[in-house]
Amino acid sequence: MKSFRTVVTYTALALLGLFLLYPLSLVLAASLRVNGTGAFTLANYASIFASPYYLHSLGNSLTAGGMATLLAALIGIPLAFCLARIDIPGKTALLTLAALPLVLPSFVGAYALVLLFGHAGVVTSAMRGIGIPVGSIYGLPGIVLVFAFTLYPYVLMPTFAGFRAVDVSVEEAGRNLGGSRWYVFRTVLLPVVSPAILAGALLVFIEALENFGVPSVLAEDRPFLAVDIFKLFAGEADSDPASAGVLSVLLIASTALILLLQRYYLSRRRFSTNARSSPPMLPLSRGWRGAAAAFSWGVVLISLLPFAAVLFISFMKFRGPVLSWQFDIDNYALLLSGSYAPLYNTFILASVAAVVTIVLGAPIGYIVTRQRGSTATALDLVVMIPFVVSGTVLGIGLIIAFNSGFLVLTGGWLIIVIAYVVRKLPFGVRSASAIVHQIDPSLEEASINLGVSPFRTFVGLTVPLMASGLVGGLVLIWITAASELSSTIVLYTSRWSTMAVRLYQLLEGTGAGAATAAASILILFTGIPLLLVHRRLRRQDDALL
Amino acid sequence: MTTIRIDRLRRSYGTVRAVDDISLTVGHGELFTLLGPSGCGKTTLLRMIAGFNEVESGDIWFGEERIDLLPAHKRNIGMVFQNYAIFPNMTVEANVAYGLRARKVPPADIGARVAQALARVRLQDYGPRRPHELSGGQLQRVAIARALVVEPAVLLFDEPLSNLDAQLRVEMRVEIRQLQQSLGITAIYVTHDQEEALAISDRIAVLRSGKVEQVGAPEEIYHQPQTAFVAEFLGGTNMLRGVAGPYDGTRTEVMVGGVRMFAQGRVAPAGSPLMLSIRPELLSLSKEPHGIQLEARLQLREFLGPIQRLHTALPDGTPLRVSALSGQALPAGIGDMLCLSYDPAQIIVFPSTS
Repeated sequence: MKSFRTVVTYTALALLGLFLLYPLSLVLAASLRVNGTGAFTLANYASIFASPYYLHSLGNSLTAGGMATLLAALIGIPLAFCLARIDIPGKTALLTLAALPLVLPSFVGAYALVLLFGHAGVVTSAMRGIGIPVGSIYGLPGIVLVFAFTLYPYVLMPTFAGFRAVDVSVEEAGRNLGGSRWYVFRTVLLPVVSPAILAGALLVFIEALENFGVPSVLAEDRPFLAVDIFKLFAGEADSDPASAGVLSVLLIASTALILLLQRYYLSRRRFSTNARSSPPMLPLSRGWRGAAAAFSWGVVLISLLPFAAVLFISFMKFRGPVLSWQFDIDNYALLLSGSYAPLYNTFILASVAAVVTIVLGAPIGYIVTRQRGSTATALDLVVMIPFVVSGTVLGIGLIIAFNSGFLVLTGGWLIIVIAYVVRKLPFGVRSASAIVHQIDPSLEEASINLGVSPFRTFVGLTVPLMASGLVGGLVLIWITAASELSSTIVLYTSRWSTMAVRLYQLLEGTGAGAATAAASILILFTGIPLLLVHRRLRRQDDALL
Repeated sequence: MTTIRIDRLRRSYGTVRAVDDISLTVGHGELFTLLGPSGCGKTTLLRMIAGFNEVESGDIWFGEERIDLLPAHKRNIGMVFQNYAIFPNMTVEANVAYGLRARKVPPADIGARVAQALARVRLQDYGPRRPHELSGGQLQRVAIARALVVEPAVLLFDEPLSNLDAQLRVEMRVEIRQLQQSLGITAIYVTHDQEEALAISDRIAVLRSGKVEQVGAPEEIYHQPQTAFVAEFLGGTNMLRGVAGPYDGTRTEVMVGGVRMFAQGRVAPAGSPLMLSIRPELLSLSKEPHGIQLEARLQLREFLGPIQRLHTALPDGTPLRVSALSGQALPAGIGDMLCLSYDPAQIIVFPSTS
């Protein structure tokens, strides 16, 4: 057991050291050096904090994150309660659909908003045609809306599980002692699920803060942290790695701080209620039930409709930027006329990354779940670091680290795969660990007791027991890797461009039709695998968090 | 021939010594039980023998072979787990064959040995079944067959009956005992259930806070407990606080709860505080005062089927439990005084704990 544990632990620590901690340390180092000369300085920080533009950028990012979190909670909490406690028609379908926005690429959602409500949007043009002005969706309002409607499942899922886990006798006791339903909800149910709400809400905040795609589509020229980091690093004329480093450090520091606060809060508040069965549905009148159904279906459909609209519009004919209502597959022909490479690359890169992530993540998840001790704790901590590092920052770190020196990777496919694997590893580990939790350790002990060595027990018994769960994890990793924009945009070369990058490029240009096709392909890359394995995924919800 | 010798074994978790310098010897073919409340270290000790908990110091010998330095999968020990640990992804046959395959037994022999093992636990027709189709008792038998088929040197049972219902528990313990005796295999059995331990064991070690309180045959442990803890843990005795009085040459007088009692022999110097144990079934109801007896007020009667339990109180209120056959008529009603006679030789005296 020990040798197996040691090999996994040190291999994982070595890989994460080389491809995560070392690149990040170089980003930090860049922030502390004078551009060009390399002398140590704190002036970069001073100049960022003296710059109204970058303070504005920090402020915008935090404001958008905060407002998106609040809105996601306002959507997620009532939806969770409706799904957990009210008899709504089509609930099973609703539950599956409600989790979808989490894996749909959020910048495609942002693009859909532009396509429908942007300056030249389909809805905007139509409304303008009949004389109704549409307000601008650019800047904060659009960004907050897209974040809230793509990230609310982070609040919904743990809160739903929380409401379902409340022991109904606790509620009955509250009612028996004279509390009205609303009083008991306020004083008992809500406090009991509040740790779950908070856990989810903070994930929304972190995701919103790190996200590159949504502000890059919707911010226009307003400053946003994640976008500015990219521009400062990759800008053609005004490349400034030092300032990019400072902003990266600020971004990582804010997300890490939030994650630590969340951990600290949750560690002191764990209400376990031993519900033997889920609480019963509320006896509501037909009218109230209808209202709850309308609200629930409304929220889920609003969050998914833009994606459906993009899919639909992608089969319409475009004349330049102008849409005409004729069925046509020209958009796809146009998109793929240049080359099939982006399609092919997306497929290959995501597949390799997903397999490697699971092969690495499964043993790590096993070790951090089964073993106690300082190395396992250290491993658990290091593996979760990618959570607080945005894709753009990781990409920048990888480029600084492997552009020259002992290991040159820039320009190839391997560096993109490495970025994906590092980015998705926390999820791979969490998902493996969730499965290991369900496997009784005495099964492995029985195998060892019967004469099979621990390593062979892991390969021959534990892995087969984990397999069905790991397939679900593999598919979710594949989906999120296939639509990954933030690290790809920093690392890609023309040879290794992906569909997400193509969409980003098409948005900058004028190819409205081709863009809808690229967006649709990304949506299908998400939807089809999900449909194939959605039953297995029901058990994976926890691992997403 | 496998005798087990455990020598000054120790294991700590933080500052707690889960197993604290335990030394034991288990004879060949013996069924030896580790008995104690939860947290006494019995499971830790068993898992150290199996190789799942690390040994901090001390050593474990099977005959002339020291085994605590071997990895768990090379110790040739059969173990029956509390939750059976049947591999859910394999059939009953595959579960039983698992250890044989690991030992590279020729495939031709595996079938016959699996069939024989399943027959021994009366599951001959269950080979192709899947674990989820089996009941708890059947899973338990598969676990036993799986442990026995590899012909281990030693068999370990970790609370094997705790997940079964009461009636099945009694049946299974008889089966386990018969199987162990017919195979003549050395076995160590862990339980917190004193009745199960008394029923099944050749010898019992009562454990408390990582130390052995007493080792002995079931009768010895029950009738001659060496500590107050053992007396109380086995079969719930009346533990009464008293003060020694004069010694009359055969018996010592003890003042307990406002009554005068007698214990055989010179148990303590006059005036010293002591604890006195008398089992509820050793107090018998008598109609009128005669011989050595005491009086207590009847407060509550519980009918338990074959016996009835009487809750009485000594004059100062100290509770005293009495067990009587339920057919026996009560000479007094609730609130009345009962005459209880006893044999001073069956009273056990311990030094006062405080």
